[in-house]
Amino acid sequence: MSRSHASVAFVAPAVILMLIILIAPVIVAITLSFTDYSLGNKSFNWIGWENYEALSKRSNYKKMFSASFVYVLIVVPVSVALGLGTALLISSLRFGGEIYKTVFFLPVMATLLAMAIAWEFTLDPIVGVLNNTLNKGCEVGWLHSLLTWSWLGLEPANSWYGQGCADRFPLWLGDRHYALSTIAFIGIWQAFGFNMVLYLAGLTSIPRELYSAAAIDGADSAWERFKLITWPMLGPTHVFVVTITSIRSFQVFDTVEALTRGGPSKSTFVMVYAMFEKGIQQNLVGVGSAITVVFLVFVLALTLTQVYFVNRRVHYS
Amino acid sequence: MAQITLRGITKSYKATRVLNPIDLDIADGEFLTLVGPSGCGKSTSLRIIAGLEEQSAGDVMIDGKIVNDVRPSRRDLAMVFQSYALYPHLSVRQNLATPLRLRDLSFWERFPLLGIFMPGRKQKLQNLNAAVNEVAQTLQITPLLERKPGQLSGGQRQRVALGRAMVRKPAAFLMDEPLSNLDAGLRVHMRAELAGLHRSLATTFIYVTHDQAEALTMSDRMAVMMDGDILQIGAPDDVYQNPNNIRVAEFVGSPKINILPAKSDNAGVVSCVGVSVTQKLEKTSSDKLSVGLRPEHLLLCSEKSSNRFSGRLTYRENLGSDIFLHIALHNGAYPIIVRATPLDAHGLAVGDNVYVGHEPGKALVFGSDGLRLKLKQDQTSEPVA
Repeated sequence: MSRSHASVAFVAPAVILMLIILIAPVIVAITLSFTDYSLGNKSFNWIGWENYEALSKRSNYKKMFSASFVYVLIVVPVSVALGLGTALLISSLRFGGEIYKTVFFLPVMATLLAMAIAWEFTLDPIVGVLNNTLNKGCEVGWLHSLLTWSWLGLEPANSWYGQGCADRFPLWLGDRHYALSTIAFIGIWQAFGFNMVLYLAGLTSIPRELYSAAAIDGADSAWERFKLITWPMLGPTHVFVVTITSIRSFQVFDTVEALTRGGPSKSTFVMVYAMFEKGIQQNLVGVGSAITVVFLVFVLALTLTQVYFVNRRVHYS
Repeated sequence: MAQITLRGITKSYKATRVLNPIDLDIADGEFLTLVGPSGCGKSTSLRIIAGLEEQSAGDVMIDGKIVNDVRPSRRDLAMVFQSYALYPHLSVRQNLATPLRLRDLSFWERFPLLGIFMPGRKQKLQNLNAAVNEVAQTLQITPLLERKPGQLSGGQRQRVALGRAMVRKPAAFLMDEPLSNLDAGLRVHMRAELAGLHRSLATTFIYVTHDQAEALTMSDRMAVMMDGDILQIGAPDDVYQNPNNIRVAEFVGSPKINILPAKSDNAGVVSCVGVSVTQKLEKTSSDKLSVGLRPEHLLLCSEKSSNRFSGRLTYRENLGSDIFLHIALHNGAYPIIVRATPLDAHGLAVGDNVYVGHEPGKALVFGSDGLRLKLKQDQTSEPVA
């Protein structure tokens, strides 16, 4: 075997594996997205852009995109901000930090499907802990006046809590106005512990001498030090955390599958759940593939943005 | 311009004491070096002066005022760090401007966007820019102003760090091993430049280093610290020639001073390794003494004599201008180093037998506790307490 052949032989296993496991499925998905193939059929027809046209026109798919984007737009900023906040608080503790780290990281380690059952019980409109507690609160005078703003002289019936007491509290997962926010809340609860750990790692990599220099230069308040050092020095961490959280939020599936199955009235019909419903449950492989391709494009765009930022903006050396 | 005084400063981390009570008076405009091996408490002392660390007891005074509870930024000191601690996301210009922005501009004037509308901000910014440009010119870093620290070499970063310290014209400069991260050539060059800077600024410098050469070359006075104590403080010449402690003698000077075991008889005559030293002790006999002889006070001799050491040459360390001869006395029991000129060392080879004499009056005699012992008829140096 000549030298050039030897090099090919060394590279081949990795390349072949990558082709089979990563590239080929993507090509298959792209191909299938232009067909009306159903699993088990012997043949299929080329239907061109029809699947994509359906995605852009039908109201179900419009709801799918809006559900996914709203979910991402709620979960990413809140879980990133919470992750940074808790990381800053924990890193300022003299002791007890380990306990908080463990507690906040528990949801990340727990199986989301199992946790979803716990959430289902909590959020159940009739037997759930949440609505029962809210209902009990209506009978406690001071709590009622506090939460209905009537202590400020406002009309209790105009407030959210007052209305809940007078009428009934939301059905949460069963109400199309609340379902997506509730799913997003669970997503935040699950994601911020992970972001916290990433930020804690980022915080430890900031040289202590910078804070000494800032103290001498006159950054006297915690806010000044945060603005001058902590925030900019966390640059690479921000980019990583935001990208990872965005991708993970786009991929939300298990809470939706366990708690709402895309409903009510498609309000939680997020992309990966749509893929699952169309491609696997209804066996519409063509449409499912088209959703997959669009999903891949979004994730790719996010990743490329990250690469751009990492290379140009946030590494200072 | 500031006079800095430490009174009974101690520092403990839980049960570990890192600074024993330290008293130090630093005169206005003085270049004082704190020098010692790592872990001796010199950096901790500096950080306590800066206010970055709180002392366990004692007072820090600047110009006679106790500043224990004054924030670091209000002590009017500037500090240069070993790692330079430049803000990596800011350009050199912004790095230089940061101390001035934080000191001279109010919170609202620094506020993004809104700050533009604050009256008087423009004038302040002009003054600030003028100050930055002036410092950049002094340090010859004007062409670097728009670069980020990551794009600078070590020496350039060092200058920027100096500039950031100079720009607010502080009462005193605190320097924590500022030259340690530079390569050897640049370090020697920066020594001269720092000394020149001190002369032209005429400001108090407190300089921390583990390198005794830096302390000897730059400072007006040096304080040798070990294990949380200041062992000796004085002019570099004085500390070098008159160390009051065997540890100071061993730490200051390169190559290290030769320490040989010695004893004295009833008449106070000190002899080490069979050779008697010219000076006499004031006090009684002891057989647990040490004699220190610096390499430059030892002379190569051609013939054997009763007051000469004899040994075997084990290594020739050739530095061009000088040659350090490593000689094993008594079959290697006592290694010593002799400084010789290339002419004197000519023709000597490893393994040769050599005879070494010492310059009269130069031997330093230390007791068993490591303290310097008083000598009779000591003409060359003042007696040490």
